[in-house]
Order: sequence, then C-alpha cells, then structure tokens
Amino acid sequence: MNLFLLDAPITSKRQVARGMFVIGLHAPEIANSVRAGQFVNLALSPGPLLRRPFSVYRASADHIEIVLKAVGAGTAQLLALEPGDRASCLGPLGRGFELAAGPQTAVLVSGGLGVAPMPLAARDARAAGMRVTWVHGARTAAELCAETDGETVIWATDDGSQGTAGTAVAAAPDAEVVLGCGPNRMLAALAERWPAAQVALETYMGCGTGVCLGCAVPLKGGGFDRACKEGPVYRAADVDWSALPTHLSYAVTA
Amino acid sequence: MSVVIGGMRLRGPVLAASGTFGYGTEVPLLERRALGAMVSKGIFLRAREGTAPPRIAETPSGMLNAIGLQGPGADALISDYAPRWAEWDFPVLVNINGESASEYGELTARLDGIPGVAGFEINISCPNVEQGGLYFGNDPRAAAAVTEAVRKRTKLPVWVKLTPMVSDIGVIARAVESAGADALCAINTFVGMSIDLNAYRPRLSFRTGGLSGPAIRPLAIHLAHQAARAVDIPVIGIGGIMRAEDALEFLVAGCAAVQVGTATFVNPNAIAEVHDGIAAFLDSRGFSSLSSLPRYLPRD
Repeated sequence: MNLFLLDAPITSKRQVARGMFVIGLHAPEIANSVRAGQFVNLALSPGPLLRRPFSVYRASADHIEIVLKAVGAGTAQLLALEPGDRASCLGPLGRGFELAAGPQTAVLVSGGLGVAPMPLAARDARAAGMRVTWVHGARTAAELCAETDGETVIWATDDGSQGTAGTAVAAAPDAEVVLGCGPNRMLAALAERWPAAQVALETYMGCGTGVCLGCAVPLKGGGFDRACKEGPVYRAADVDWSALPTHLSYAVTA
Repeated sequence: MSVVIGGMRLRGPVLAASGTFGYGTEVPLLERRALGAMVSKGIFLRAREGTAPPRIAETPSGMLNAIGLQGPGADALISDYAPRWAEWDFPVLVNINGESASEYGELTARLDGIPGVAGFEINISCPNVEQGGLYFGNDPRAAAAVTEAVRKRTKLPVWVKLTPMVSDIGVIARAVESAGADALCAINTFVGMSIDLNAYRPRLSFRTGGLSGPAIRPLAIHLAHQAARAVDIPVIGIGGIMRAEDALEFLVAGCAAVQVGTATFVNPNAIAEVHDGIAAFLDSRGFSSLSSLPRYLPRD
C-alpha cells in the first residue's frame, strides 16, 4: 500500500456540532487511495513534537476531510488553521473496515467524534451493496454531528434532548455488518452486544507507521499489537477492553 | 561522508537509533541511500510482551515512552529479520538486552555468525524494564561485566549504549572501554514522569518513561562530549536530533557519528534529510570531508 507525505493546504472549514469542526485538505494522492477506517497523521510547524492522528472523514477527487474537536494544545492549533494554511499530512495509514460484497445490511454506530470514519464507511458499504443505517449518539442535541449519511438515521442523546434517550449502542438495530467508532467505553458495550462488529479504536499514538510501539492495543488472546498498523479497526471481540484505557487525557503541554 | 566506527566502515555518519526504526522493515518513505547503519529494536533472548498502555506521553519538545522492550525474541529475529538484513547495503546491529551478564552473553552467542547480524549494541540503559537495563548502566563494574560477557562471545563490533542517569558518565565510559567495547553510544533516554491531572496518577502505566526528543538535546550533547573526552574509542551521539545542525553539534562536540531516533516518528525521512544537510553544510563551509570538520574536544 502506498504512503504519502504531503505538504497539504487547508481548503475548507465548517462547524458540524458544538465544538466540532470539519477541515478539508488538498491531498489528491491520499484522497484517491484511502479506505474507510484509515487515518492520516498531521503535523504543524511550528507545532507540537508529535503528529496527531485523524480518521479520514470524507474523500473526493483531490481533497480529504477530517473532523476534530479542540481536546488539547495540538488540536487547538489545528483548529486555528484557516484556508490557505498548510499542514504536513502523512497517510493513508492503518487497516480500515473490511466491507466485502455479500451482506445486505450495515449499521454504523458512532458516538461523539466517532462519526469520523463513518461517511467513508457508508460510501464503501453502499458500494458493496449494503443498505446503511446510521445510529449516532452524543451527550446532548448540540453535540450531535449535523452530517449523517444513511438510508435510515437514528439519533440518541444521553439527556434525551434529541432522538432516543440513552446510548447509540442501545438504540441500534441488528444488521449483518456492524461498524462502530466512539469512546472506548461505548465500543466495549458494542463488543458485548455484537462480538463480530468491526470497531475503529482510539489510542495515544506516536509515529503512526508501526515503529514506536506506543499505540499498544491489549488483545483478548494475550499480548499487544499496534493500533496504527494491525488496527485501528478491530473485531470487537478480539480486544481486551478491560485493559484498554477508557479515558484518554489530552493534557499535552508541548 | 563515510566514517569508520571501531573497525566498521559506514557509508555515512547518520544511523537509525534502536527502538525508532523497528527491524528496518516498517519505516516507509526513507531514502535508504542515506542510512549509515541501523540499530534494531532492543531484543531479549526470549519474547516479551511489553508494558500495558498508555505507553507514551507527549511533553514539551519531547516524549516519554515505556514500551518495555516488547519484542519477538532471538529465534524470531533470526528467522524473520536477519535473512532480510543480509541482503541490505548497510549494516544492521542488534540492540541486545538481558537480566544478567550471562544472559547478555548467551544472546550474543546465539546471534553471532548469523548472516545479517553485523554487530551488537549493548543496551545497559533501558529505563523501562523491571530487571536489567539501567541497573547495569550506572555501576561501572556491572557495565564492564556485561561488556566482557558479550565481548567474549563475538568478534563482531560491540557498541555500548550508555545511560544519562549517572553522576559521571566518564567513569562508565572508561569501564566499558577497558572491557573491550569498540564504540560508545551516548545517550539513551532520561527517566521522566508526567501526571494526568484528570486521573491524579502518572500518564504512563509504567509510572515512569524514557524522555527523548529535542527536550534532551543540550543534556545529550554535554554527556556525549564528556564520554568522548574520557575514552579513545569513537562515541556515537544520540539525543533529540531533528535537523542537520543538531547532528553537527554532536559531531563538533567530539562524536564520530550520530543516531537519529524520535525525529523518525515525526518525519519518516528525517535520517536522509539530516544526512543531506550535513553534506550541504560541509560543502558550504569548504570542508572536503567529514574528517576535516573542526572538533571541540579538549582531553581530560
């Protein structure tokens, strides 16, 4: 698989929920080859030492989009970028969702920023002949992503301010293919209900290319592998959820 | 730009540091023509799982890591990686680890003579394992004992990677030189710690980690310089090199070569950019070779 390191201009920015923004980058080589669930690793100069990983949200002929919230200094700096600014963009990285032809129905379950890989997942699931149901949850209506893409869309909020009151996992119908992305606690619940679901994990990440071993994912069968290389998409039952940190602190001081 | 390190000729002075380049098969995009040598991810005789996540934390101009020397063990290294190294046009040294001097020796004996293994970098400085590692690096007798154990089992080049967590690096440097080391690598990571203010506990599951990156560069240049002043064998400088100018600081401070580590995480082609930048610097200053670069190395 080809990997590209691009000096990519920012081309667009729009808000999709409270504190949540979609940023477009001109990155033709990545746009043409990225698969749902894969990510890019972004760096700014000057900026924090390490890159920041983002699932590719959408891809067109020449552009990719990512979705982000300011959770730390690095993401705050990325959010401050305006069209015309540039970011160093490394990708596509990781192993994405496997969406082979055959199954007729897919349900996409996303929590909060877990929308990130879902537009591409909807695209690829549809291309494989599946009917797509998208279940999206957040704490409140204001935090729900305004952009969803499914034949059926189901909303869930913790406070009941929009859609079903409760979690996205509880609100989701069964389907032949289940794809999930969101906080690790949500994915652990998804793994209980659908062990065969494919989930895109979030971990701390160093290099994104498989050498630093910083993004270790504890496996049910013992040992660790790398979210950036063998992941970030896993079969839900393969992950040892009890050993995966549920809370990621982004208090980066760089 | 070729250099000779303890009898081994390298085509360039910029090397890939252990733990930042995997087994050489992972890092994409690097223009390998620029790679003087590679030091493998640290290996023990037997496979190790490594530490639980979180394993890394970013800090001002640096990162903490506690990977715990996750690795496949000697047998897998011999079957899966060494045959590929044997075909490459740059040497690969294996970073070796043990819980006792005899285990270092046993691992050396197992790897000595395997095609693809060009030499050894003894790791007596890993801060992220419960036994071994750092313990051997801050006691001159233990450091010398490990070096001797390895030296006895191989005629290949033996480098020793020193820890910065000592009060006088010159003492350790002289001890391992006397025990038969061909070169020193200075330095490994500093032990550091960072606290998660949401969880009121360390950000790393291992509690502490090794600090690398530009944050440690001036400390590393000083320690590499102190080691170089203390011994006659070559010193390979390591610590926070991001650009050619950083590498040149180590070289002028008395190092014969450098290793680039954390920079590769950020920029997969960092080694080639550092290498080309050194060449451009020498050219622009009118030096015909690296050996004519002025050095600041008053002897002890």
